[in-house]
Amino acid sequence: MPVTFIQILGKKLVLQLKAFFLTMQEFFIFSVRAFMSFPKIIRYWRDVLDQATICGTDSIPIVLVSAISIGALLAIEVGNLLEDFGAKTMLGRSTALTVIRELGPLLMGLMLSARFGSRNGAELGAMQISEQIDALRAFGTDPIAKLVMPRLVAALIMFLPLTALSDFAGLQSASYMAEHYHRIDPGIFWNAVYPRLVAKDFVVGFLKAPVFAVIITLVSSFNGFSARGGTAGVGRSTIKGIVVSSGLVLIANFYVSKIVLENM
Amino acid sequence: MIELRKVGLKYGDKEILKNVSLTVEDNTIKAILGPSGVGKSTILKLMLGLIKPNSGQVLVDGTDITNMKETSLYNIRRKMGMVFQGNALFDSLTISQNLGFFLRENMKLPEEEISRKVAEQIQFAGLEGYEDQLPESLSGGMRRRVAIGRALIFKPHMILFDEPTAGLDPVSSKKILSLISSLRHNNNLGAVIVTHIIDDVFNVADSVAVLYQGEIIFDDVTEKLYEAEHPFIRSILSDKILEL
Repeated sequence: MPVTFIQILGKKLVLQLKAFFLTMQEFFIFSVRAFMSFPKIIRYWRDVLDQATICGTDSIPIVLVSAISIGALLAIEVGNLLEDFGAKTMLGRSTALTVIRELGPLLMGLMLSARFGSRNGAELGAMQISEQIDALRAFGTDPIAKLVMPRLVAALIMFLPLTALSDFAGLQSASYMAEHYHRIDPGIFWNAVYPRLVAKDFVVGFLKAPVFAVIITLVSSFNGFSARGGTAGVGRSTIKGIVVSSGLVLIANFYVSKIVLENM
Repeated sequence: MIELRKVGLKYGDKEILKNVSLTVEDNTIKAILGPSGVGKSTILKLMLGLIKPNSGQVLVDGTDITNMKETSLYNIRRKMGMVFQGNALFDSLTISQNLGFFLRENMKLPEEEISRKVAEQIQFAGLEGYEDQLPESLSGGMRRRVAIGRALIFKPHMILFDEPTAGLDPVSSKKILSLISSLRHNNNLGAVIVTHIIDDVFNVADSVAVLYQGEIIFDDVTEKLYEAEHPFIRSILSDKILEL
């Protein structure tokens, strides 16, 4: 009896591993095809502009809200902590490093994973189950070039200014809280920010933007293309897209910081 | 001409098609008849190269497309127009944009010519006044006519219809069937019609293949269906025979 149970368990595990590696293989081919479609950018420039509006301009409010709230919160908490050591004047320095290197890009990545990623997953999933993607293929159009490449290019372009905006809004709200909550003069706050920031800090933060753009777009689009089983299937694929891309954004955030800080 | 030679297809452990052989001649209408979920639509997707068989060959005008790359398949697919079961209209595009989609994507035609061809299809499908509407605002029959118009606009040699009258009221069904009949007479087109409605077969098809449990159990001219002895064919014909 226990032998049979272990055999069934082992068989299930092998099948799941097989399915996992098959999905990874499909995802790899999907990603390569998306990058290989870049030469078709001139043909689909209108789609790129549409997607740039969706992932860029339309995402500004959510990026601002998250950056402002985390900047303010960070200023209050870090200020309280520094006060115990009599180092409140260092608030600008510590907030700037945290926002520019880590929290600015990370929050933007997570917000866009939820907003842009869910839109991609749901839209492409709905197109998949209503056979619109098959229709594209049947009419001689490459669906990856038409639907995925413009999303990828738009995200690669727009995530950089969104990161800058997120950093700027986070620091401004931190400066505001430093002045009104901790009674630190804005001159002291910004003096602790500017002279001490070095190129490495910006490289860490801004290198994350294209990495997150690739992760979020490809994972959510792949899950949309893989949707099966009606509206419930679209829901499942959308959730999977958000969960996987958010997890990968967190992991990539750690490794980009580690690699750049160790090598620069 | 489209030819399936001993095609077999499996989804996981489930065998969908077993040794299916089928020929569709140019300028003829061939129906593929069978119960729902038996793999009829799969045959159309195989003909377009949208899915690949596990065994056997698919030939279009003598070219083996079984293992052809996706990019090479685009030229083959341009010989065939497809009308999907759920129409598969692009729901973010207007009726005119849906009709002109293929021409804008794949043919370097001037915009005036595209507009003229779209207007022709609008007239052919009887959709004047709906040019700028989105598909969601049309009735089922109208959407089907847009889907047919979209498949016809680039003058293919063959049109593949997936359940052309399913889910339509009797009046709309009649309109669609007369539209299909008129295609061969006016445009010299061949067609493959996948259906589970036997009346559709007798109304438009020159020949019929019956798919049952993944196998072709009958493949001949439509009239000979009455002479078939297979119990499944007898059972689907029983209502029809009673009517005669």
